[in-house]
Amino acid sequence: MGSGMWSTDVYDAADRYRRATGKSAFAYSDSGARKVHPALDPRDAMRESRDSAEHPQSTAITVLFDVTGSMRNVPRTLQAKLPQLLGLLLRQGYARDPQIMFGAIGDATCDRVPLQVGQFESDNRMDDDLGRIVLEGGGGGQMTESYELAMYFMARHTVTDCWEKRGRRGYLFIIGDELAYPQVDRRQVSRLIGDDLREDVPLAQIVDEVTRRWDTYYLLPAGSSYAGSTKVLDFWRDLLGQNAVVLDDLDAVCETIALTVGLGEQAVDLDQGIADLKKAGSKATGTVSKALARLGRGARDQVATLPAPSTPPTRGVTRL
Amino acid sequence: MNHVLVVDLGYGDAGKGTVVDWLCATRPVHTVIRFNGGAQAAHNVVLRDGRHHTFAQFGAGTFRPGVRTHLSRHVVVDPLALAAEADHLAAVGVPDALDRLTVDGEALLATPYHRAANRARELARGADRHGSCGLGVGEAVAYGLAHPDSAPRVADCRTPAVLRRRLAALRDRLTAELGPLDAPPVDDCLPAFTAFADRVAIVDRSHLAGVLRAGTCVFEGAQGVLLDEWHGFHPYTTWSTTTFANAEGLLAEAGLAGTAERLGVLRITTTRHGPGPLVTEDPTLPLADVHNATNPWQGRFRFGHFDAVAHRYALAAAGGVDGLALTHLDLAHRGLRICRRYDSMDRLEPGPPGDLDRQAALTTRLLAARPGYDDGPPADWPAAVEEALGTPVTLTSHSPTAEGKQVRKGTLLTPFV
Repeated sequence: MGSGMWSTDVYDAADRYRRATGKSAFAYSDSGARKVHPALDPRDAMRESRDSAEHPQSTAITVLFDVTGSMRNVPRTLQAKLPQLLGLLLRQGYARDPQIMFGAIGDATCDRVPLQVGQFESDNRMDDDLGRIVLEGGGGGQMTESYELAMYFMARHTVTDCWEKRGRRGYLFIIGDELAYPQVDRRQVSRLIGDDLREDVPLAQIVDEVTRRWDTYYLLPAGSSYAGSTKVLDFWRDLLGQNAVVLDDLDAVCETIALTVGLGEQAVDLDQGIADLKKAGSKATGTVSKALARLGRGARDQVATLPAPSTPPTRGVTRL
Repeated sequence: MNHVLVVDLGYGDAGKGTVVDWLCATRPVHTVIRFNGGAQAAHNVVLRDGRHHTFAQFGAGTFRPGVRTHLSRHVVVDPLALAAEADHLAAVGVPDALDRLTVDGEALLATPYHRAANRARELARGADRHGSCGLGVGEAVAYGLAHPDSAPRVADCRTPAVLRRRLAALRDRLTAELGPLDAPPVDDCLPAFTAFADRVAIVDRSHLAGVLRAGTCVFEGAQGVLLDEWHGFHPYTTWSTTTFANAEGLLAEAGLAGTAERLGVLRITTTRHGPGPLVTEDPTLPLADVHNATNPWQGRFRFGHFDAVAHRYALAAAGGVDGLALTHLDLAHRGLRICRRYDSMDRLEPGPPGDLDRQAALTTRLLAARPGYDDGPPADWPAAVEEALGTPVTLTSHSPTAEGKQVRKGTLLTPFV
């Protein structure tokens, strides 16, 4: 029973919440959630990046990160850093009307939450999705995670106006430290996404599909279990060429992603981008320039035909 | 995995908080789930080192590291009081209470407008007060029933435009009914509610099933069965279902109907905070309650002898329990007796839910009833209560701390070692 022990002053309460520190950004996960948040459930979902009066030239950007045990503290660091990505893109003018979607990748063979996908947002609502990501830990201990399932979703369950209307690919960043499975398992697709496939989809085919509409990058961060493992890096280089990038300093993740987008959009060249970062007080310029050295030399191949080409391009991303 | 449901079989204040704290101290409890009432709950927990907190919206297990709280959709959530409560918890060494909280987005919000309306009505009743706590919980429930589609709910805190519209409509409707309300402007309220949404994990109703499968949960009731909205003694009741019904409903939704241990809490003195029937009231009893002072909304804290007639009625209304937790046994030698019959009747029969006329008639009879005492103070309280209520006493409490609890019988409550 009671009497209302606690102050209900509306002005105090706002201050108290603002002062309340130590919020784990993964409040949903830390509250004990062990299943996908409904807002992030890929089942029967289609994620759309659409133009609007406010954002007439939307640029779709997706950041998916591995949340399994091998990543150690990487997901939490990313979670703290990624909210700065939108501001960075806008301040530097690297992308017109960026719309960002966050998501998470686990292991569909043993994790309870193998795929989580937010929505494309043009404002800080994307941070809400970040906060709803369940950190599985877990993983299979096989040096393999379900990246192919995430790529399947991106290939067949996203619609972007930058592609539909302007023939421009969006940007997909996968942050992880392990290998993908050799094929997209039709049973996992049926269970987690809801599509009825007649057969498994080979990894190479799904990479072709996803790279048709998404300029796809694999970032291998320092601080994860297999960082620096040549096996992992070679695997992704084989699939994505120079778009497989080692990230020495996780704190530079936003700068790396932002500058990658800026290079792709031809809004900036690498030297200018590094200079921009320096000017903005970033301490990450060394890391970023090292990570992107291979990317800075060539502009992104432009896709001029509408709609999608009928013949799939060769595997991976062709660059000059 | 045995979930435990904890309900008060009196008028509240029997010691649910201390029982829930003991449960969480003696076994790995995943989450404490609130399933009725709101911020007017006041469940006191005292630790052996002297730390004390009055739990209103956080579960009474929050002193125990890692134990989470879930506010289900049946709770009226007060984000303002929640912030103050979290601050006090931080001051007594629990800095992460908000991180261990999940709130169902469908839960109604209690707002300054509900509170202002609540107080305006209670003042207008004058001497005929119902014993409301002045927190607007009942007001929020009433408004939610009248305007289910526009009543402000927890999830609205995530969309300020929607919340602003709903708060303004609420204010306008209540003002039209009651005159100007003593409450801040809508735009002054928004920052607190949106800050709440930024800080606290808001989940949907499907979240609970996962929690119930993740580990042992304790359902912590608020108030008492004798204050139940349908079975209480109208109009001295609360706008809340205080029986096991909501908790059992939540379990059923998760496919776990009837699997939990039902624990009823009673103290050896039947008490009541505020007006309404208390047949065994005895102002000569040398008792005082350190945590329940007189307050302007509920008035005096009243003590009576153990009212077995009323508690038998509560047991019947709640559908029985697996065991009883009997508290305040440290008061056993203060001359307390057991009342097994009234002068006018020896049984109270629960009626169908919703028949408030019947309940009001019952109240009239109870206000005129006199207690009958057939014997002196019992030598063995647990045995005497067991016999009077026909229900086993499984847990006894002899002091405010978890260390002052003893398992008397029953295996389900036996602590993990």
